[in-house]
Amino acid sequence: MDDTLIAILRSGTPLIYVTLAGVLAQRAGIWHLGLEGLMIIGACAAVVGTVQSGSVLVGLGIGIVLCVLASALLWFVIEKLRANPIIAGLGLTGLGLGGTDLAVQAIYGSQASVNAPFGLPRLGDAFGQYGVLSILVLFMPLAVAGVWVLTRRTRWGLQLSACGEHPFAARSVGVNPARMRLAALCLGGVFCAIGGAELSMGSLQIFAYGMTAGRGFMAFAAVIFGAAHPVGATGASLFFAIVGALGIRAQLLFGERVPHDLLLALPYIATVIGVWISGKLRGGAKAAATFGELRDY
Amino acid sequence: MTSSSALALACRDITVNFGDVTALSDVSVGFAEGLIHAVVGQNGAGKTTFARVAAGIVRPDSGSVEIEGQNVPLGNVGRARAAGIELVHQSFALPPSFTVAEAMEYGAEGGRTIYARGAMERRWMRHLEMLGVQVGPRERVRDLPVETQQAVEIARALVTDARILILDEPTAVLSPSGIDNLFARLKVMQENGVTIILILHKIREVLAVADTVTVLRGGKLVEGPIATDATDAAQLSASIIGSSVAGDISETDREALVGAAEESDTDEPITAETKDAPAILDIRNITTRQDAEGPALDKVALRVGRGEIVGVAGVEGNGQRTLVRALSHLADIVSGNIELAGTDVTRTPLSSRRANGLRVIPFERNSEGLSLSSALWENWAARTLLLGGSLKLINPAQLKKTCFDTLNRWGVRFSSPSQPAGSLSGGNAQKLILAREIDDDATLIIAAQPTRGLDVGATAFVWRALREARARGCGILLISSDLDELFDISDRIVVMLSGRINGEFSRPFHLADIGTAMTGADR
Repeated sequence: MDDTLIAILRSGTPLIYVTLAGVLAQRAGIWHLGLEGLMIIGACAAVVGTVQSGSVLVGLGIGIVLCVLASALLWFVIEKLRANPIIAGLGLTGLGLGGTDLAVQAIYGSQASVNAPFGLPRLGDAFGQYGVLSILVLFMPLAVAGVWVLTRRTRWGLQLSACGEHPFAARSVGVNPARMRLAALCLGGVFCAIGGAELSMGSLQIFAYGMTAGRGFMAFAAVIFGAAHPVGATGASLFFAIVGALGIRAQLLFGERVPHDLLLALPYIATVIGVWISGKLRGGAKAAATFGELRDY
Repeated sequence: MTSSSALALACRDITVNFGDVTALSDVSVGFAEGLIHAVVGQNGAGKTTFARVAAGIVRPDSGSVEIEGQNVPLGNVGRARAAGIELVHQSFALPPSFTVAEAMEYGAEGGRTIYARGAMERRWMRHLEMLGVQVGPRERVRDLPVETQQAVEIARALVTDARILILDEPTAVLSPSGIDNLFARLKVMQENGVTIILILHKIREVLAVADTVTVLRGGKLVEGPIATDATDAAQLSASIIGSSVAGDISETDREALVGAAEESDTDEPITAETKDAPAILDIRNITTRQDAEGPALDKVALRVGRGEIVGVAGVEGNGQRTLVRALSHLADIVSGNIELAGTDVTRTPLSSRRANGLRVIPFERNSEGLSLSSALWENWAARTLLLGGSLKLINPAQLKKTCFDTLNRWGVRFSSPSQPAGSLSGGNAQKLILAREIDDDATLIIAAQPTRGLDVGATAFVWRALREARARGCGILLISSDLDELFDISDRIVVMLSGRINGEFSRPFHLADIGTAMTGADR
C-alpha cells in the first residue's frame, strides 16, 4: 500500500505543479499547450544546472529563470504578435523538446542522458518510508492552497478570471488583460520549472531526452477535466497519477496475460476518458471553448 | 467657459478614428452637475464611442476630458474611475460565470486582500439592498433575467463612489415596465447627487426622463446640451435624422425610427384581409428540447399568412432565437409540427425547406449571415449552391456577373464582387443578405433583428424591402426587440415570454398591452 502511495506522490507531484501553471493560464484565457515544453526545460535545467554548478538550488533557479523567460516569450507571441495561442503553445513545446536536446548535446557532446551527482533534498527518516520523497512533495499541497487562495479568494484572482472569460469586462474596470496574462504565464513558468525539477531530480537524478513523455499535455487535460479550478484540476492530476500507479501494479500482477503496452497506456487512456467525462458534465465542448479566444470588443 | 466648475463632465475637441472611419470628430460638450442628460443619435452616430472615451476605454486621437474641473488622462479606465466616472455597457460586460457577489467584488476597492466568501457576500448584499436590487449573492450572472442583469451591472458601476454614471442604451433590452423601473431608479440616484448621462435613441424616452439632450450625427455634435423643455419631438427627430435621407421616409416611419410616437396606435389597415389569407407558415404546438443555447420552446403555435408581416416581440432571450433555430432545423423538436406552404417540414432538412421558399435573415449578421472572409459573390451564391448537389459544377464567372447585377439592383455599395464581405459596412452587409434571401422564389422570410445596428437610411431600406416582399405575397416573420419597428410595419404581433407565446395582438397596437405581455404581469 505504502509503495503505491509513494509511486502516486512521485508521479503525481510534478504533474500537479504543472497543472497549477495550466490553471493560471486557463483562467487568464490561454489554452496553454506549451506546458510540456516548459516542463522539460525545467527538468533539463535542474539537472544540467546542478551538474555544472554543484548546487541543486542553482539548478532549480536556472530552471525557474528559463521557464519564466520562455513563458514571457509565449506571451509576446500571443499578445503582441497575435499568434494563435494553441499553435504558439505547441511551438513552445517543440522548442522545449528540441532545445533541451540541443543544449545537452552542446554541453556534453552526446545525446546520452545526463546524471546528476545528487538530487533534491529528501524528506528524510522522520517520514519513515516516505523519506525517499523529495521536499517538493511536501510543498505541493502548499502550492495548491496558494493558487486556490490567489484565484478564488483575492480580487486579483477574480480579475484574472474576468480577463479569461470576458476581457472587455476586465478592461471596463481598469484591468489590463494583457498584463494579467503575462503575470499568469510567468507565475505558471515558475510552477513548470518546479514540476520539471521534481520530475528529473525528485527520485531519478537524471535527465533524458523527451523524459516528460506527454506529462505536460496530461496536465493540460487535468486543467480541462478540473474546469480550471485549482482543487479540481489537482484532483484530476491525482486521478491520472493513481491510474498510472495502478497500471504499474497491474503490470506486476497480470503482466503475463494482458499486453503490457496496454497497461502502460492506461494513464493516457484515463486522460482521454477524463476529458470526455468532464465535457459531458459541463454540457459538451461549448462550455470550454469560450476560454480560448482572446476576444476583445 | 465661466461656469466650468458646475460641469460634471466636459469633453473638448474629441476626435476618434478607427482606421479610415472617423467615429467622432471635434466633439466638445459639457454636462452640468446633478442632472439627467440624454445623448441621442442614430446607430453609427458615435454615441457609444463618446461614452467610451469619457470612461477611458477608448483613447481619442485628440481632445481632452475634464471631470469636475480636473483634467483626466485619456484612455485610462483606472484614472477615469478614480475621478468618479462609471459606464454601464449596452451589452452587459460582466463575466457570465461570476456570481453576483463576485461581479461586485472584482471591480471594487478596499476590503481585505484575501477575502472570506461569507463576508464578501454580506458586504455586497448590503450594497445591492441599498440600491433596491433583489438578487441572491450566489446567483450566477448568466442565469439572471436581462433586467436583473442590468440592475446588477448598474450596482457594479456603483461599487466605488461614482459621481457620474453613463448608461449606454440601457433601454434597448428592457420591456416598457422595465424601462419605467430603470428611470425611477435613476431619478433616485440623481437625487443623491449623481450626474447621469443616458445614451438613448428614442425621443419618447428622452422627453420622459432627461433634463437636457445632446444630439450626435455622423460623429459630429449637432446640438449641445439643450433643455428638454426647450425642444420637442419634431425638432429632435429632424436633428437626429438630418436632411440627407429625410426625403424618402414617410412620416410614420420617421416617428418609428426615432421613437417619437407617443402610442403607436395607427389603425390604418395595411393589408386588407390577412385573416383569410392562406397560411404560408403554420407552427402547431412545437416544443423543443432544452439545450445550452437558450430557453426551449413550449407549445408554440404561430401562423403567418401570405402577404402578412407577423412581428415577434419580447425581451431578448425569451425563446426568439430558439424559434428561428427550430424553423432552420437547428433545434430538436420534441413534439408538434411545422407546415410550410401546406407541406409538413418538421423533419426535413434546411435545404429542402429552403427549396420550399424559406429564407432566413439571421440574428448575427457577421457570424451567421455572412462569411466575412469570403467574397461577396460567394456569400451571395451560397443560397443556390446549397440547393445543388455537392458535385454540381459551378461557374464562378457567371455567378460573379449575376451577383454584380443583383447587388447593384439592391443598392449595395461595393467595388468588386470578389472583395471580402468583411469589408462592407453594416448597412451594406445587411443589403447583401437581403439580396440573397429576398428573391423571387421566397415565400416565407424570417427576419431576425434585421435592422439592429443600422442607421436610419439603412433601416428604412430594410423596411421597404420587407414591405415590398409582403406586397408580392411573401409571409414575413419579423423578430425584433424594437417595439417601434414592430408597431410600424407588422400586421400582427405575438409576444414571446420564456419560450411561450404570451399574447397575440392585431392593429391597433397599444404599448401598454404588449408591454404587459412581455413581462407576464397580466396573470
